[in-house]
Amino acid sequence: MEWLVAAAIATLTASGVYLILAQRTYTIVIGLGLLTYATNLFLFATGRLAVNAPPIVGDPQAPHTDPIPQALVLTAIVISFGMTALTLVMAVRGYFESGGDDVDLLGPEEEVAKERR
Amino acid sequence: MNHWLILPILLPAIVAPLLALALRHDLIMTRTFSIGSMVLLVLLGGYLTAMASDGATRTYALGEWGGPVGIVLVLDRLAAVMLLLTATLGLGIAIYSLSGCDKAGPHFHPLLQFQLMGLNGAFLTGDLFNLFVFFEILLIASYGLMVHGGGAARVRAGLQYVMINLVGSSIFLIGLGLIYGVTGTLNMADFAVKAKQIAAADSALLQTGIALLVAVFGIKAAVVPLHFWLPGTYANAAGPVAALFAIMTKVGAYALIRVFTLCHGDAAGGAADWFASGWLVWGGVATLIVGTIGIVGARSLNQQASFAGLASMGTLLIAIGGFTPALGSAAIYYLIHSTLAVAALFLVIDMIIRRRTGFGDALVAAPRFVHGGLIAATFFVIAIAVIGLPPLSGFIGKLLILSALAGQTSGGEGGGGVAGWPWLWGVILVTSLLALIGFAFSGTLVFWRRPSDKPAETASPPIVVPMVAVGWLLACMVLMTLLAGPATDYFDQTAGQLFRPQGYLEATLGEAAAGGGS
Amino acid sequence: MSLLLIVLLPFLGAVLPALMIRSGRDACAISAASINLLALVLLLTHAPAVFRGESPRVLWRWVEPLGLNLSLHIDGLGLLFAALILGIGLLVVIYSRFYLGRGEAVGNFYTYLLLFQGAMVGIVLSNNVLLLLVFWELTSLASFLLIGFWGHTSQGRQGARMALAVTGSGGLALIAGMLLVGRVVGSYELTEILASGDTLRQSPQYRWALGLILIGCFTKSAQFPFHFWLPHAMAAPTPVSAYLHSATMVKAGVFLLARMWPVMSGTQEWFDIVTSVGLITMLIGAVIALFQEDLKGLLAYSTVSHLGLMTMLLGISTPMAAAGCVLHIINHAAFKASLFMNAGIIDHETGTRDLGRLGGLLKWMPITAGLAMIAAASMAGLPPMGGFLSKEWMLEEAAHTKLWGADWTLPLLVTVAAIFSFAYSLRYVRGVFFGPRRDDSTTPHDPKAGLWLAPAVLAALAIAFGLFPEAMLGEVVRTTTRGLVGGAEPKFELALWHGPNMALAMSLFAVVLGSLAIVAYRPVRRVWRQIPLPEGRAIFDWALRLLSGTTRAINELLHGGSLRLYLTTMLTAVLAMGGWAFYRHEFGRGMRPLLEVGWVEGAVWGLLMIACGLVVVFHRQRLVAVVAIGAIGLVVSLAFVRLSAPDLAITQIAVEVVTLILMLLALYFLPKRLRAEQEPGGGLGRALVSIACGLTVGWLGFATMTRDFESIAGEYWRRSLPEGGGANVVNVIIVDFRGFDTYGEIMVLGIAALIIFGLISGMMRGQLRGALARWTSGESYSPSRHPLLMVVVTRLMLPLSLIVAAYLFVRGHQMPGGGFIAALVVSIALIMQYMASGFGWAEDQISFDYHALIGGGALVAGATGIAAMALGHPFLTSGFGHFHLPLLGDVELASAMAFDLGVFLTVVGGVMLALAQLSNLGECTRDGATKSEPMDYPHTSGQGGTSREGRD
Repeated sequence: MEWLVAAAIATLTASGVYLILAQRTYTIVIGLGLLTYATNLFLFATGRLAVNAPPIVGDPQAPHTDPIPQALVLTAIVISFGMTALTLVMAVRGYFESGGDDVDLLGPEEEVAKERR
Repeated sequence: MNHWLILPILLPAIVAPLLALALRHDLIMTRTFSIGSMVLLVLLGGYLTAMASDGATRTYALGEWGGPVGIVLVLDRLAAVMLLLTATLGLGIAIYSLSGCDKAGPHFHPLLQFQLMGLNGAFLTGDLFNLFVFFEILLIASYGLMVHGGGAARVRAGLQYVMINLVGSSIFLIGLGLIYGVTGTLNMADFAVKAKQIAAADSALLQTGIALLVAVFGIKAAVVPLHFWLPGTYANAAGPVAALFAIMTKVGAYALIRVFTLCHGDAAGGAADWFASGWLVWGGVATLIVGTIGIVGARSLNQQASFAGLASMGTLLIAIGGFTPALGSAAIYYLIHSTLAVAALFLVIDMIIRRRTGFGDALVAAPRFVHGGLIAATFFVIAIAVIGLPPLSGFIGKLLILSALAGQTSGGEGGGGVAGWPWLWGVILVTSLLALIGFAFSGTLVFWRRPSDKPAETASPPIVVPMVAVGWLLACMVLMTLLAGPATDYFDQTAGQLFRPQGYLEATLGEAAAGGGS
Repeated sequence: MSLLLIVLLPFLGAVLPALMIRSGRDACAISAASINLLALVLLLTHAPAVFRGESPRVLWRWVEPLGLNLSLHIDGLGLLFAALILGIGLLVVIYSRFYLGRGEAVGNFYTYLLLFQGAMVGIVLSNNVLLLLVFWELTSLASFLLIGFWGHTSQGRQGARMALAVTGSGGLALIAGMLLVGRVVGSYELTEILASGDTLRQSPQYRWALGLILIGCFTKSAQFPFHFWLPHAMAAPTPVSAYLHSATMVKAGVFLLARMWPVMSGTQEWFDIVTSVGLITMLIGAVIALFQEDLKGLLAYSTVSHLGLMTMLLGISTPMAAAGCVLHIINHAAFKASLFMNAGIIDHETGTRDLGRLGGLLKWMPITAGLAMIAAASMAGLPPMGGFLSKEWMLEEAAHTKLWGADWTLPLLVTVAAIFSFAYSLRYVRGVFFGPRRDDSTTPHDPKAGLWLAPAVLAALAIAFGLFPEAMLGEVVRTTTRGLVGGAEPKFELALWHGPNMALAMSLFAVVLGSLAIVAYRPVRRVWRQIPLPEGRAIFDWALRLLSGTTRAINELLHGGSLRLYLTTMLTAVLAMGGWAFYRHEFGRGMRPLLEVGWVEGAVWGLLMIACGLVVVFHRQRLVAVVAIGAIGLVVSLAFVRLSAPDLAITQIAVEVVTLILMLLALYFLPKRLRAEQEPGGGLGRALVSIACGLTVGWLGFATMTRDFESIAGEYWRRSLPEGGGANVVNVIIVDFRGFDTYGEIMVLGIAALIIFGLISGMMRGQLRGALARWTSGESYSPSRHPLLMVVVTRLMLPLSLIVAAYLFVRGHQMPGGGFIAALVVSIALIMQYMASGFGWAEDQISFDYHALIGGGALVAGATGIAAMALGHPFLTSGFGHFHLPLLGDVELASAMAFDLGVFLTVVGGVMLALAQLSNLGECTRDGATKSEPMDYPHTSGQGGTSREGRD
């Protein structure tokens, strides 16, 4: 199982990084999404993997997993959700502002044009 | 129960939703509450700084759990000073924004409050994951402020800023995961203790985790080559926002100081190893050089100011990286100075931009504008402070760093110099000269050179409120200069406290867990 | 105390003129003059003590650890310089009043002048070298302002920048030098430094310190090879040239040489460097001065030459030579300032300073001419002027000093210099006042007394110094020299006539040849012009151009704005840091037994791989990308289910749904097909970085997962139920153990929503609104926008999901669930309404103010924490066990639940505000005419609309 999870993390990270090295905002947002999955899985995995051991206090003999990483991941999921939403809207706004979904900064002459406005 | 420690976080955390919820249609009330909360924060910061001056490390166990189970806030001299600095800056920004830029878009003041909440939390928390949470708060608030007012260039720069920082957050989480996965704790003090007790077989993973944290703090602190977010962001943000961001880089610097002084003191706790290798000094040198090159080659005032901010971080990082108590003291002094100076610079540039209609901050000759004399004088003084020429605090700060680098500062714990200090002297002095040349060029161009054909500008935005804000920051720098003696004493003791982390550990974990003298 | 006052007065007084700008030139001038006079008087009250050989001092501690103290003292040297600065300052203030025109910013001028004066006095009275540095840099800054006083002219700006750059660099070198000195001596107090000359001279750092300090002095005093800035500083108003660039600032370097003379001089290095540099400067200055066409240029280079003379005398390192230097400082101050003012008068009256256009002014301006001749005679070193004495003295010293291993070099070269200095003095007088008038356009005449008074005083002094040297200067020079050499001054009597001696012979020789040079001026000049010489100014400009060019290029290269470049660099750096850390420390494989893999896991895993592949390959077809993302999210939540994380699984799936809806909404506005990327190097670097990151993170994860460890988890298990009152440990952690994290987390959500609101409402106002109204998605959507079935289903779902939410919320503390998940369920149900029944309708039905929800939620959560504080517990202390009510079982969770309620409200508010705003945006486009009735009829749109890509 550990192999699978590790491989999944690796694949998600690699594809995420590949996509954020793009030049179009939307692609980058997708990439960030993948990166988030990878990060959350990783953080989760640092609590070690356990099967059929939910973090619910019951029979003390029953095996149980480490609840802390789960709690952290929960927070991380929420935060990254907010970030994703924000990035998407910023992408839309940026598209309407500059008429392109390019992510690179405007060159000096465009800057001057901006100032003239 | 000493509730003072939670207030710097709680106050803005209450005021901000209030502004967003109840007062968002009432500008007067919004402004009143915003300024009021800032003033309270300044007073609070002053009080906490005084409180911390007795050298005790105070803790606040949220939910009454106490570390390492629950989250703990920790107040020592450094944290107190940072709180005071943040509030001081925040007040200046809030005042300046009254001149109209808070109307450029909705929610300026709530975001400002949230920003301060995040900053204060980051300075106070004693828990690594909680630090992450507060980083996210101050970051997302800064995203909002960054795009405040809109505009094509600004939104794009904002997107880049957001994306880079999101990558940074992922790195932070991975680093945290590694650290938890090896030490099994998130509490900073507990981590510092456990880091020294882990099995040798785990040390590589632990060190990698620490490395990733260093990288994240490095991104925040804009250490070259992790600095790329800074120039575009600062140069494209609205004036007061850029001014506020002067503190953002300092959060990274603070985190570096905090985490590594905690792990310092024992060879086995190889975290200090990062500093033993002195890499940060050379990172600082690179930052200083890149920043200075930027100052000289800048095409616009805002760009120049951004690079000035970068350069000042370089100087600061050199001091932090040297990692001697004397340097630590000098670093804190310079940190405060550079924050105030760079912020004031951005504010005065904003005043210029609002008068040079059609020319903005481009470094080209523009017609004479209203209040030119007063603004020119202010710019001159602030530029001097930023470059680090006398008489303002910049000069003292640089002198402190220079002499501490050579290990000849009499005060503090002394401590030897840094290897290769003559080179560092050279770099710092030569870059100062280049900065001087750069600012002399832009200043003469903007204030003296006039195109023959064009008539004088008539745009006359408010002058009083902005000048009050800038004056407030300037006054603080003057105070830093006049009271340099007492200030350096305080900072010497602060550095002393940082380099004897035992107090911190015992305060958070109790004698036993802190594991004897290190 | 009054010492401090002398220094402070000009600084404080500097405010007055600035304030009096409105009240006219006289007010400014009088205020400035009175300040100046007051300072002068205060200074003179110290004179007797100094002449008695005492040196009063004061000290206030300033920055202890640095050794920077506010410590002043006054000795012979300081007294002389301070007197020069304040005395000539007074004359300049008066002169400027009449020199500056009505239109000028006189107030600023006097402010700068006083600032400069204060800094200058500070230099000469400092008893702490760091304090001296402070004032030193201040003079550079003040002179920058004064030279740039006419900043609208390009000469003004360039001159100011050049002066600042050169003297500024010197100042920085000086800082290093002084820090080194302090390092050796162990103190920055001048008196202590002066006491430890031997320690310094023998220390290994002596050479470095000497070199750096000399750079400081030479740049300030315009010594070769830094001399080129001084002539360009002549763009300043003439009073400034007279004050800064002849009498005072340029002498600061000489002053510092003199100040350090007792500790630094006497060594071979000192003698060789200082003497040679002085000599060369003296020669070059004199020669160039002769061929200047501009009066001020001539005077400027002559100043360079005379400064060289002083430097050389200090270099010779004998007390007598030092005394000669002192004498010449006094004389030069008198005649050179007078001459500058004189040139100012000529400029003022005739409108030109060009020797080519002046001439024959004697009969038009007799007074000016008379004053000029006296001063020039002193400059040329003719008896009975003061200049004669000091020149003779210099020649006498030079005559028996051995330089460069031969005893004839120095005498010979100084004689040559003397020839030229006589020649250019003569040329000044002859060129301006004799010969034919070349420019008859104006009828010049002597100015009002106000303008010639100051130069007259100085000229008078120049004669008096010559006629009664001992009476006027004897004591002064001796006292000053005592202060300079620090201890026993040489015994000497000042006298005009020393009888025939070597020096006199050299002078006569110089006079004769000098006159010849003027008689045969044109051929001489022709020869001069043949000689190709490197021009300091040109080199300086070239260097600056090079600097700005390269820096700009580097800026564009590094910070051109390519996010890909940024991220690639940063990620590579981070990888390097991580790798470095990893390989420098010990690593052992984990021993934890691995979990076995069933075929289900394998299949799900395969799905994930495929999905990732799809995204990477087809990311430009956006819908494919979205679907794949959905699949990945599903797989991740399945993984959470399998790996005993029910809360995570539910949360993940719920978040997934909302995220997808958001993405679809955003997609609607973003360009339909993404343009291809430019791939430098076929995207190889990109691929490499990605793979490296993937492998690293995966490997780290594996390494962590496969080793056992001790964590604080046990604590939570033990205390969750008894102390946290919840069986679901994760939830207890979220709302209690680490509730503060959650508090922060909902803040993040709330802030995000506020920002989104701001961004979108910003789009619906201003110029963007127009763009929006013209915008169309350029695609046709299913004609039935609100299909009946969907409407009905969603309406049924709403109450259902509300119940589910309530259930999840309540049980959260014991079983998987909680406020956040409940909130997402509710939000999804609401969104369904929007999607199915249309924005307008839903908006009418759902009349929440989402802002209120966000703010309210945050406040509720905060209030819960504060309630605990009110009960005397820390913020966010759970209510559990704190309320001793009869039916404890029911209220034991009260506070934790209230906190969760806050979470719930904020999350619903945040999510809904974001989504509502986005769909709201849709309504502002051409496609979106709000449909208020739930089941509207087909509506085809957008075909003809010019899409936004079309226009840009």
